[in-house]
Amino acid sequence: MALLSMHGVSKRFGAVTALQGVDFTLEAGEVHALVGENGAGKSTLMKILAGVQPPDEGHMQLAGDDVRFSSVQEAQSRGVVMVYQELALVPTLSVAENLFLGRLPRFVDYGALRARVRTLLAQVDLQLDPDIEVARLSIGERQLVEIARALAREGRVLILDEPTAALASTETDRLFEIIARVKAAGVSVVYISHRLEEVFRIADRVTVLRDGALVGTRAVAETTAEQVIEMMVGSAVHRYERPARVRERVVGTFEVTERDLRPVRITLHAGEIVGLAGVIGSGRERVLPCAFGLRGSAHWNDASIRSPRDAIKAGIVLVPSDRKAQGLVVGLSVEANLSLATLGRLQRLGFMRAGAVRAQSRHWIERLSLRPPDPDKVVWELSGGNQQKVVIAKALATEPEVLLLDEPTRGVDVGARAELYDVIDDLSSRGLALLLSSSDTEELLGLSDRILVFREGRVTAELQPPYTYEEVVAHVTGAHQLA
Amino acid sequence: MSLARINWRELLARFGLVLALVALVIILSAMSDRFLTQSNIINVLRQISINAIIAAGMTVVIIGRGIDLSVGSLLALTGVVGASLAVGGLPAGVAIAAALGLGLAMGVFNGAFVAYAGIAPFIVTLAGLTIFRGMALAFTDGRPVSGLPPAFMTIGYGSFLGLPVPIWIMLGFLIATHVILRYTALGRAIYAIGGNEEAARLSGIPVRRVVLFTFAYSGLAAAIASMVLTGRLNSAQPSAGVMFELDAIAAVVVGGTSLFGGKGGVFGTLVGALIIGVINNGMNLLNVPSFYQQIVKGGVILTALLIERLVSTRRT
Repeated sequence: MALLSMHGVSKRFGAVTALQGVDFTLEAGEVHALVGENGAGKSTLMKILAGVQPPDEGHMQLAGDDVRFSSVQEAQSRGVVMVYQELALVPTLSVAENLFLGRLPRFVDYGALRARVRTLLAQVDLQLDPDIEVARLSIGERQLVEIARALAREGRVLILDEPTAALASTETDRLFEIIARVKAAGVSVVYISHRLEEVFRIADRVTVLRDGALVGTRAVAETTAEQVIEMMVGSAVHRYERPARVRERVVGTFEVTERDLRPVRITLHAGEIVGLAGVIGSGRERVLPCAFGLRGSAHWNDASIRSPRDAIKAGIVLVPSDRKAQGLVVGLSVEANLSLATLGRLQRLGFMRAGAVRAQSRHWIERLSLRPPDPDKVVWELSGGNQQKVVIAKALATEPEVLLLDEPTRGVDVGARAELYDVIDDLSSRGLALLLSSSDTEELLGLSDRILVFREGRVTAELQPPYTYEEVVAHVTGAHQLA
Repeated sequence: MSLARINWRELLARFGLVLALVALVIILSAMSDRFLTQSNIINVLRQISINAIIAAGMTVVIIGRGIDLSVGSLLALTGVVGASLAVGGLPAGVAIAAALGLGLAMGVFNGAFVAYAGIAPFIVTLAGLTIFRGMALAFTDGRPVSGLPPAFMTIGYGSFLGLPVPIWIMLGFLIATHVILRYTALGRAIYAIGGNEEAARLSGIPVRRVVLFTFAYSGLAAAIASMVLTGRLNSAQPSAGVMFELDAIAAVVVGGTSLFGGKGGVFGTLVGALIIGVINNGMNLLNVPSFYQQIVKGGVILTALLIERLVSTRRT
């Protein structure tokens, strides 16, 4: 019998049906992937399981008992623990304090606490000083600390919500080892992800949701990626191929440097997409913020870029990696967001020209087929893919010559991803020069005219097409030197 | 925000405030037949004018995710300086202009520390609160300034088209503030900064200049309110305006502007100031002792925030 089963679970938010009669089962010691496009209901289903919100209908059984969690604490007391996409650690407290947050005894014996913390961290392969502040850990380390915390609470159902979204590939490998280990210890793992290759790597079964309804559950060994994608989108998806392109007009040359990044020179041609590859910490993730004047020092054709304003004036604009924290004012409308980078052009004597503002938003909503096509929609109501389109459109409205794309499809589902790739391709064919920094190798391969590989704070290789997946990965990880 | 698509929650949040005001008016007019008279209504509007002007400036600061605690002291400082200049023989218009300029300058002083030195607005304006008060007291040696030219009487007691001048000044300033917030690039930048400062900066908005502006504007508002108060009292007191910053913040918050910045507006602030003013007025008419009035006022603020919280929850 299954460890956990959910039957006929439904949930509505106002007029929106988030879940409609969904069934879900979880065996003991199973890794069960939960996939679906943004808005399919994955997170809602798991929030119900974790006690974050109650279902409107349906019932759950855990280890044979009927359960109904009315709070996160209640779910945790039954061993159901969720590790969130937005990590739920307190950055200013130590690792030890975070592990026992809310569960510290009235009088703390720090010696015993540290010893206990070391054992817990050893379970997830982390060798950390228990007194170190969480703020000083990498995202990957924080995630492992969260998993350790779940284990400390004797979790038997661990829910991971897109755990690899912000991880470098080596950190991902480490996470997967830990997942395999907790699975061997009999813990069940629900794994929410947008990355199918991960699903096929670690999951035993996969459940697909679409528009709040269950499409089906399959054993991973008996299905293929194509079948799962078809279940997700309901029709075949177009796979992106990029035609070879000729470099002609030089747009300009970047020179960027920062504390952990040796000086890099990048010459960009009109219509060219230059990919930047490298794990987090290789220096690759520093190039675009640097080029946009956020830190370090940057020159564009010998002109110094000291601030985003300088960059935008020079025709350079950034689509930042963290769209909610850096790209959008989520409480404002689509139209207000679209006009943010072009307030100067949309005003006369200080007054906003309502007609011009509306015309601009109509133009970009249509050009990037934003859904829903409503300029007054508040941004936090949009899906991740559409939010990203708003960020890109806001940047494009400045009519740049160079577009810096930092992790443009992070947390975006497969269907919307293909759409964004079409947008990016279209931009380059209109003569825009693009710098694409991504931790998704497939994305780099699909889009780039050439790829700069970063390792240890400098460029270690420039790869020209035709290149293969293995070749890029070998350079990024440094494996090619071992051969 | 166009009306093409109706956001019921927002509509309720906005209407709820007006409904609360209407309910208050109905209750009070049932309890006292002196309440719903033309003279009393004009009286209420005149009483709230000073708070509403300060609160309008405060709204601008708070939408930009700031706070300005120095407005009460700044009101006193600009009042005594303006009044002294006028008493000392400068034409009233010049003296008033100087007072407004001083308010603006002190606002720039606050804003510079916040925007360019990166010190928390709460701390900067808390310092401003004591500095400006001290300056007002030092400047006058603690004594009120009286013997003002008649122009101040006009501001305090004059009327135009049947309405007292303070009400006109309040309406003019509220409308100007509304226009700035809603229809100018500057206003849109203030909302963006309050909503997400980092995104605003990456969009090329000159964040520091805009933040500086919000504090300067609040300083100007305090100076304008000061001129109205000076006119009403026909003198300027260095001890005027104590705790006015709290009344202004109360009006802003009751009016639905979020202390976390990025949303709200000056219309709500007017309704907030009206609710507080109507309650004060009603309690006076009903002879509620002033100690109890304070308790009720605090209770109203909490109730308003609780309702706002209930209406605007569930944004997953």
